[in-house]
Amino acid sequence: MRLLALLLLGLSSSLHAADVLHLYNWNNYISDATVARFEAACRCRLVQDYYSDNEEMLAKLAAGASGYDLIVPTGNAVEALIRSQQLRPLDKRLLPKLNNIDPAYLDTAFDPGNRYSVPYAYTITLIGYNVEKLRELGLPTDTWAMIFEPKYLVKLKGRVTVLDSQRELMAAALKYLGYSVNDTDEAHWRRARDLILRAKPYWAAFNASSYIKELTVGNIWLAHGYSSDMFQAQQDAKQAGRPFTISYAIPKEGAVLALDSMVIHKSGPRPDLAHQFIDFMLDGHNSAELTNLIGSGNPNRAALQYIDPAIAANRAVFPTPDILQRLEMLRDLDRNQRRVLSRIWMEIKMR
Amino acid sequence: MSPWAGRTMPGCFSMTRRFGRWLVGLPPTLFLLLFFVAPSLIMIVASFRLAGEYGGLAPLVEHGRWQLTLETYRFFFSDFIYVEIFIRSFSVALATTLICVLLAYPLAWLIARSPKKHQDLMVLLAVLPFASNFLIRVYAWMIILGPQAAVARALNSLLAMFGFEPVTLLFSPFAVLVGMVYVHLPFMILPLYTNLARHDPALLDAAQDLGANAWQRFWEVTWPLSLPGIYAGSVLVFIPVLGMFAIPDILGGTGDILIGNVIKEQFLGTRDWPFGATLSLMLTLAVLACAGLAAWLARRGVGRHA
Amino acid sequence: MRRNPLWLWAAALAAYAFLYLPLLIVVLYSFNDSRLNAEWVGFTLHWYSELFNDANMLIAARNSLLIAATASLAATLLGTLAGLAIHRYKLRILPVLAITPVAMPEILLGVSLLLFFNLVFRPWLGLELGMWSVIVAHITFCIGFVTIVVRVSLLGMDESIFEAARDLGATPWQTFRLVTFPLILPAVMAGALMSFSLSLDDFVITFFTAGVGVSTLPLEIYSMIKIAVTPEVNAVSTLLMLLTLGMIVLASRIHGKAVRSIGV
Repeated sequence: MRLLALLLLGLSSSLHAADVLHLYNWNNYISDATVARFEAACRCRLVQDYYSDNEEMLAKLAAGASGYDLIVPTGNAVEALIRSQQLRPLDKRLLPKLNNIDPAYLDTAFDPGNRYSVPYAYTITLIGYNVEKLRELGLPTDTWAMIFEPKYLVKLKGRVTVLDSQRELMAAALKYLGYSVNDTDEAHWRRARDLILRAKPYWAAFNASSYIKELTVGNIWLAHGYSSDMFQAQQDAKQAGRPFTISYAIPKEGAVLALDSMVIHKSGPRPDLAHQFIDFMLDGHNSAELTNLIGSGNPNRAALQYIDPAIAANRAVFPTPDILQRLEMLRDLDRNQRRVLSRIWMEIKMR
Repeated sequence: MSPWAGRTMPGCFSMTRRFGRWLVGLPPTLFLLLFFVAPSLIMIVASFRLAGEYGGLAPLVEHGRWQLTLETYRFFFSDFIYVEIFIRSFSVALATTLICVLLAYPLAWLIARSPKKHQDLMVLLAVLPFASNFLIRVYAWMIILGPQAAVARALNSLLAMFGFEPVTLLFSPFAVLVGMVYVHLPFMILPLYTNLARHDPALLDAAQDLGANAWQRFWEVTWPLSLPGIYAGSVLVFIPVLGMFAIPDILGGTGDILIGNVIKEQFLGTRDWPFGATLSLMLTLAVLACAGLAAWLARRGVGRHA
Repeated sequence: MRRNPLWLWAAALAAYAFLYLPLLIVVLYSFNDSRLNAEWVGFTLHWYSELFNDANMLIAARNSLLIAATASLAATLLGTLAGLAIHRYKLRILPVLAITPVAMPEILLGVSLLLFFNLVFRPWLGLELGMWSVIVAHITFCIGFVTIVVRVSLLGMDESIFEAARDLGATPWQTFRLVTFPLILPAVMAGALMSFSLSLDDFVITFFTAGVGVSTLPLEIYSMIKIAVTPEVNAVSTLLMLLTLGMIVLASRIHGKAVRSIGV
């Protein structure tokens, strides 16, 4: 009995811990140094949970996950969260540093007027590759044809991975076929499916994040993935002293730009700390720390001066205006579209 | 002294008994009705409801009308692919079961034929790996089958010697099958052993006296008698494999999904609860059908041989 | 006793090897001084020290133990009652209710509880998924195991003991307290230990019913396997194996027959 009482005591004390900010974040999406400084500044604890996919995060929230003060979803997920009325409007008086953000990343289609969201960082879904191998094989690196065209893939059989994400892979296929990433025409989806099915036998795996390691080790020569992950693979390969280098490029057909924004969830008990965190992250120095850590794109103008020059000069992280024109953000799908896309995805997995 | 004791009056005995029946039987019954039966019923209802625009379910009553529909069922039957995924899951479950029988039979037989004093230890040794977390057992195969591990390298250099293309072992249907077998093997060993240990050695002696050779003794005596054990083990292997999603998730490649993965996807990916509920119900029906079949087979088997 | 033919020994040894080699490799590689689980590089305890400095892992371990303790306690109580009720009062529905959650594929229980908690508990009682939902889910599937162990031990008993107790004038409660309970106690203890290890071990049902911030060791292991595998997984696996092993050995010491009857 005493044991039970003790256990219950432990349970209740953990429930009522004071001054904790709950952040639901992407895995490895904030630097430890930043966390430590924020915790010192707010005299609170920052507790993080992680997700590896927007759909996963939305599904968890729909399935009753709650208690998060802050979330860092991508645009289309912000849209879904706004429309399902899960977010708390921002109090901009508490965010004096908001004007640090480049206006190009404000007032987006998913949150006009930024009533709910503040840009945090962005990534671009692109192609990462083993420079030496691709040069040796004489293959181009700036087109989606690399992951979809059998004539290139024959030289790369079993050395290519693509993202294990319905939306991202379909987006790449749609872009290659010349459609918008947000095209919802079922006939176009079926064409994209056929394109994917034709290329699939050459792929090693659908992959969510272990392509970073596979590229670093040299098992995989080409991967469809996020720019920040490719940056990490590049760094890891350099550090491990591999006899090859990893690089990455935005395909010329265009790609998905994922703008991740900080939003305040209604279920969170500490909107005050959440605002404090957002303003803290709007500081140029803090924001740059993330870019220097993971090579993410940075919408914060005040951060540029703190960013490692090598990253600042990388066109796959900070694209030129004409490339930026060809990047698109994903929009959320409605329930019927989701169901149909899920079936198409299943066909892709099964065939 | 308990307040409900009424031992002196015979008329009260049945009352005490009824009271005791409620006292003992009610708490577990209520708990299971609430947390097993009610959720199952909710799932049936959910399969007829509309998905919420952003996940979850749409309100049950909207604009004064009930929002119930057969749409998920229509969708299920509108494309052969859902039947196909069930067929595939069945095939994997069947293959796993067969391999488990092949691996478990010699071991169970050996244990059952060993001296009594060793049997307990041998059984314990056979099921001990089962004590480790199932993810760990799956993960073990990730290491073993990985491209840099000794197994894959040895196999591929052997293949290269005969001029074949190298194969990848991890992230393949083969890896999924190995994982399934490894995780579920103890479920087959135990019922088989329990069955084989009960066989009367006199039967084999009699068969020998009648001139049956070792093979005939096995095939004509031991095997038919062990069928109930095989049926029992098969149910214990087949049904969990049918719903498994973690093993294809971890060990599978570009094409290895089973019905469990599709169900999981509806709840934790596509946010389509009604369709997920429909798929779960179909799986429930499939499981019930299998269990019914196994029970029927076992009864027939027992009737014939016992 | 017949002598076993050589081939049978060989086949059985191969089966034992198939059962043990993978786990040995996991344990071995937890001491391997390399990030990649590929080749043996050298001996290290680095991954264990990493493990004990991993705050998430420690919280997950605490959650796992808390959930297992609470769930096994409740499941033992309810399962013992169910075993007694089935044996003594020959209830028809209760065995089906207790065994079915164990016999179904786990995903079905997980999914139906996910729906139930969200469609009933959340809107009506304002309860969000959390640790309690995991505990309730674990109780649901543990009851069946305890029920079976208790029932098996009751089946093996001589009914005349209870009759004798009654003839000597014992009330039902006295019969239970002085005769039945001491006799089934080993089975109850074994059931409790089994529930504890089953709960500690569960992944699928926890996966669907865990609320925000409630991570358990299996969930943590799963996300490590899926996202970033380091030998830390091997280290936590090795420790978890030792713990479960201890529980099982203890359980079978207390009540070997009943434990074996349900397959552990």
